[in-house]
Amino acid sequence: MDGNAIAVKTRIYTHPYVLAGLVPLVFFLVFYFYPLAGIFIRSFVPDFPSHLHIDLSFWDQVTGSQRLAHIIWFTFWQAAVSTGLTLASAFPCAFVMSHYQFKGKKFLTLCASIPFVLPAVVVAAALDASFGKNGCLGMLNIRHPLVLIFMAHVFYNFSVMLRILTSFWAGLRANIQEAAATLGAGPFQIFIHITLPLLMPAVWAASFLVFIFCFSSFGIILILGGPAYSTIEAEIYRQAAYMFNLPVASFLSLLQIGFTLVLMGLYTAFSRKAVRFAPKAGHANFKPPQKFREKAAVAGSAGFIILLCLFPLAALAGKSLVHDGQVSLIYYQAIFVNPANSIFHVPPFTAIKFSFIFAGTALIIALVTGLCAALCLNHLDRVKAKGLAAFFDPLFMLPLSTSAVTLGFGIIITLDRPPLNLRSSTLLVPLVHALVGFPFVLRAVLPALKRIPNDIREAAATLGASPGKIFRCLDLPLISGALTAGGVFAFTISMGEFGATIFTAGPRTPTIPLAIYRFLGQPGAMNYGQAMAISTLLMVVTAAGFILIEKISSNGVQQF
Amino acid sequence: MENELIIHNLKKTGTTGVCFLNNINLALPRGSRLSVLGPSGSGKTTLLRMIAGLDIPDSGDIRFNNASILDLPPHKRNFGMMFQDYALFPHLDVFHNIAFGLKMKGMSKQEQASIVAEMLALTNLKGFENRKVDELSGGERQRVALARTLAPGPRLLMLDEPLSALDRVLRKHLLDQLTQIFSRLHITTIFVTHDHEEAFAAGSQIILMNQGGIVQNGTPKDLMHRPMNDWVRQFMG
Ligand SMILES: Nc1ncnc2c1ncn2[C@@H]1O[C@H](COP(=O)(O)OP(=O)(O)O)[C@@H](O)[C@H]1O
Ligand SMILES: [Mg+2]
Repeated sequence: MDGNAIAVKTRIYTHPYVLAGLVPLVFFLVFYFYPLAGIFIRSFVPDFPSHLHIDLSFWDQVTGSQRLAHIIWFTFWQAAVSTGLTLASAFPCAFVMSHYQFKGKKFLTLCASIPFVLPAVVVAAALDASFGKNGCLGMLNIRHPLVLIFMAHVFYNFSVMLRILTSFWAGLRANIQEAAATLGAGPFQIFIHITLPLLMPAVWAASFLVFIFCFSSFGIILILGGPAYSTIEAEIYRQAAYMFNLPVASFLSLLQIGFTLVLMGLYTAFSRKAVRFAPKAGHANFKPPQKFREKAAVAGSAGFIILLCLFPLAALAGKSLVHDGQVSLIYYQAIFVNPANSIFHVPPFTAIKFSFIFAGTALIIALVTGLCAALCLNHLDRVKAKGLAAFFDPLFMLPLSTSAVTLGFGIIITLDRPPLNLRSSTLLVPLVHALVGFPFVLRAVLPALKRIPNDIREAAATLGASPGKIFRCLDLPLISGALTAGGVFAFTISMGEFGATIFTAGPRTPTIPLAIYRFLGQPGAMNYGQAMAISTLLMVVTAAGFILIEKISSNGVQQF
Repeated sequence: MENELIIHNLKKTGTTGVCFLNNINLALPRGSRLSVLGPSGSGKTTLLRMIAGLDIPDSGDIRFNNASILDLPPHKRNFGMMFQDYALFPHLDVFHNIAFGLKMKGMSKQEQASIVAEMLALTNLKGFENRKVDELSGGERQRVALARTLAPGPRLLMLDEPLSALDRVLRKHLLDQLTQIFSRLHITTIFVTHDHEEAFAAGSQIILMNQGGIVQNGTPKDLMHRPMNDWVRQFMG
């Protein structure tokens, strides 16, 4: 009996799917935990591993520095203000989107979703194209860095806020409100006493998520804020790249990791609470707007969404196409033709080439590791080893809540020497990108795998299908949509990744976001125009990727 | 007659110590038709899964043609099993569902097509080849599942409550069809049900199960006229 039990256990852990889980595990140990451990050690032992003495002098630098205290404070309050502004602009729109059915609503939803999938550098470039010094509305003179940062954050996060609030609000059952009405509550009282309290957990959850995004915002701050406005993320980069002050950079990274973990914990708690109230999907009761008031509200939100989400993108594209007041393709041509006096060591076209090569490689790595992880987690779940599955599932999601800058920094300070020296390897960037894209692949594939009922696998076995054939003839076709969606995710994320790339990409292998960043930092209309042109290209690629994913998932394959 | 399938002292205990199957002994002659009758949760499905190789017993033996098959994985047993909720492949059409087992045997496209056509005729499904399985009615799904199970020519046919998902009228009709098909096939059949009328119609031998054990093993007549104990009498109504 005991021997049998052990044999069964052994069989579970030597199952090919469980062994497949070792692939992502090793991937994480080497490219996630090892670098983070490196950061931790180097905060206290700066010359690790050559000199093993503990040096806490960074502590004096940190505590003695007005600047650092200022930066931490700024990181928090800019995130709070950005979140408040996002909530204020999304809340009324969420009301309209969750209550009314009208022509063009689908298009509006799509418009509202696009900014969130755009890379931060593109968002920064688009805001610069709209309100910056050379922007379309530059004469409005609202180009104070803080205003630009806030606008960029609202532009960027509006869609998340709107999505969460709308789906939640649409599901609140109307009959609860009707019941309140029969008990004598007027519209205002219903809102205050019924709707708002039910909505609050979703508001908190969405706000925390947006707060986390703004808190760890990097590209936007670096590009739009300039040296005067630095967040913890931006400061990690400055300390590491310009001042070579690794102990302080390490300490800030630790701080950033700590803050994000706490914030993620709070977010999880709130979203769990929100789920408790969450109504069943597909229960929306939309109606067309009828009264003048309703029509005005719909028109107002539609106008606002289009202005907020499309204007900056149109401005970006417009700026890339206009030279000296005339429509021209000169900036696009310059990308391909002009290697001379370039600010790179290589022509800018190389950046586009490398971006595609890196993204393609990252896609393959993320798909392989993500599929292995999904197969393993699904199998563990199925054989009732739920404890293990519950341990590894959140562990595999960690890259989502780790700032890319921290990750990139950790990787260059640890993977630059034996036992693993990848400093000059062209694989380094795709590996990091794959790590960032990995959770998206896992989140796309795992639910698809779980949805496959086990009895069809068993039926296939009784019909003579070996485990390998079951995988090829059943699982693979049934998750192909999810795999495609995950792959597109990994690809577009890699195309736009900035925070980790700025550390890990060598000077000869720049990517599109790095090129945009450097062009924007240079004076002159030609540089600015080229920044606009490459940003437009990147915008088109990522938006196309997003629309593709939406198409796939509306074909019956859901991602989340 | 020679016994084809022999089950000897089969036992299975759950992780919590609950007994799913308790000392099952059974012998089936070649070509015989057995009905497994019992209330929900009595272990009928578990027994079928053991025979199919989908579950592994804690102890005991299952022998087929005088050889133990415990070490044989399900895909090498060539036992047909029709699942309670049919387990049709959602991404394949009717034709490819039925052809699946043939494809696994490495048959040519032509051979597949001819056998599938035969099965479609047998189960009254002509013209359904290209239908998606989620566009079928309950009765049609049931017949596709049966055709899929029969197509590879299994050595043993197991049906797990094949009619339970259907409404009363359809059930009666399809039961007649099933018994007709059985009598044409001469294949050893195990028919699981919780309905004694179905059990009587489908099997010449019946085992009555309760709480993981066999309470009575005999012909329909035995069960009706010589119930072992009060519980059997009560269950038979
Ligand atoms: N994988 C399993 N996990 C837990 N309990 C199970 C499992 N399989 C079967 N059982 C238990 O075994 C008993 C018999 O189940 P089953 O064979 O499905 O009964 P039947 O098919 O006769 O309705 C039930 O008590 C059921 O709860
Ligand atoms: Mg059953």
